[in-house]
Amino acid sequence: MSVYLLAGIRRPLDSDLTLAVAARDVIALRAWHGSLRRWGLLESFALPRDPVSEPRACLVIRATGEEAAAQLAERWGRLSGYRVTVLALSTTTGRTGGLS
Amino acid sequence: MAEAEDALADVFRVEWPKLIGAAFRIVGDLQAAEDAAQDTLVTALDRWPLQGVPDRPGAWLMTVCRNRARNLVRDSGREQQRIESLRRLPLGQPGPDADQQQIADDRLRLIVMCCHPLLPADAQVALTLRMVAGLTTEEIARGFHLPTTTIAQRVVRAKRTLRQHRVTFADGEVDVRDRLGSVLDVIYLAFNEGYLPGGGQAVTREDLAREAHRLACMLTELAPGEAETWSLRALLSFQLSRWATRAGPDGTLITLEVQDRARWDRALIADGIQALARARLGGRSALLLEAELAACHATASSFAATDWNAMIDLYDELAAMQDSPVVALNRAVAVAMAAGPEAALPLLDQLTRDPSLRDSHRVWAVRADLHRRAGHEEAAIADYDVAIDLVGNQAERNYLEESRRRAAATRNEDLAVKKPGTKG
Repeated sequence: MSVYLLAGIRRPLDSDLTLAVAARDVIALRAWHGSLRRWGLLESFALPRDPVSEPRACLVIRATGEEAAAQLAERWGRLSGYRVTVLALSTTTGRTGGLS
Repeated sequence: MAEAEDALADVFRVEWPKLIGAAFRIVGDLQAAEDAAQDTLVTALDRWPLQGVPDRPGAWLMTVCRNRARNLVRDSGREQQRIESLRRLPLGQPGPDADQQQIADDRLRLIVMCCHPLLPADAQVALTLRMVAGLTTEEIARGFHLPTTTIAQRVVRAKRTLRQHRVTFADGEVDVRDRLGSVLDVIYLAFNEGYLPGGGQAVTREDLAREAHRLACMLTELAPGEAETWSLRALLSFQLSRWATRAGPDGTLITLEVQDRARWDRALIADGIQALARARLGGRSALLLEAELAACHATASSFAATDWNAMIDLYDELAAMQDSPVVALNRAVAVAMAAGPEAALPLLDQLTRDPSLRDSHRVWAVRADLHRRAGHEEAAIADYDVAIDLVGNQAERNYLEESRRRAAATRNEDLAVKKPGTKG
């Protein structure tokens, strides 16, 4: 398993935020993060002190390789509306689990 | 999951006007206040999925929003000006109760400001739905069947007008009484647009009507001493209680007479009855009478059991307050139900000549219905034709066309009976 940093930068909103959609997104994202945790794929996360500075959120995840990390990044971007950058932090850690 | 979504959406809906009100108090500009509230929701979107929804989400949102508003003031270069105005506020931090009271008052001030007489009625409605109900411009546009750009322009112009005229929250007690009329009008207008849409395919637009009802409920919480707010809440609760039964699965209009009363929302009817009791503590008003009339329908066990004579009395009282042809039209319906269609047809003949009603499909549709009930199929068909030409809503048109077909079928049967030689 390798460790990757996913950095989420918020894309400008193209319209007003719909309250019901915001609620739906919070719940959907929370469920997705929960599933990452359950699979042992979420190592940690970080949020900036200033809420409007970028990146808006960072996830440290474990994945079997770049392709798997990119898939997780793509899914996170779709759910959150972020533009997600993937950075490899280390490769082939000793721990196993998750999707491996 | 859907339950959690609904609960969270309710939190956002309840908090939205509080955030706008609190931010406006800091930034003194509606656009900037909206930006601060929007940024706050986005921050919640960033953080809550990772950190969890806070125990007191409202307090969390309020803190973030106030900080954001202060930052906007600082960044906009108006810091000194705003700091000066903040210095003029009483010394010391308000306690939790005082803070809660101010938040409540600011919501009320926000509603009153959105209904400012400087703004045209359509802008008042759009601004109230955006700022107080938290609907997006797209949602409002969908509700009114207008292009999003039209609604966006209305909202932008309204905000600019308020800024240009330096309209702001007045200090001290909120003076609702002066502006209550226009606030109630705006909410009622928004409700009617959802409940009786003038155009489009559907018979109703649920979101708009439910938001208007929610605003009416909010108003009773914010100004509980004003009887008129309770009248509006009662009226809208009674109307909304019939929501599920007003249209069939295919969108066809279902009239009051044939609606399934067992499916009426009992909780809303109970809410309406309670609100009506509060409203009666004030003086008689047109809105109270409308609520009383709605209660006659909502509390009747069947269409036949409706107290039509009480409704005629209420319409008479209403007509004495407002000389409106619409009231006269509704009264004529009550007369028809109490004394038969023949008694009401002369009233309808008069109303079809009224300049303010003759271009409305409703008066022709009502007269057509009364002619049909009286067995005058030929006259009914002629009136249905006029009503079909004038109606804008597709679901109502379908209903009128179906009624016309039934009247035509009855007429043809009658003709066949009168000419037995032609019958096969």
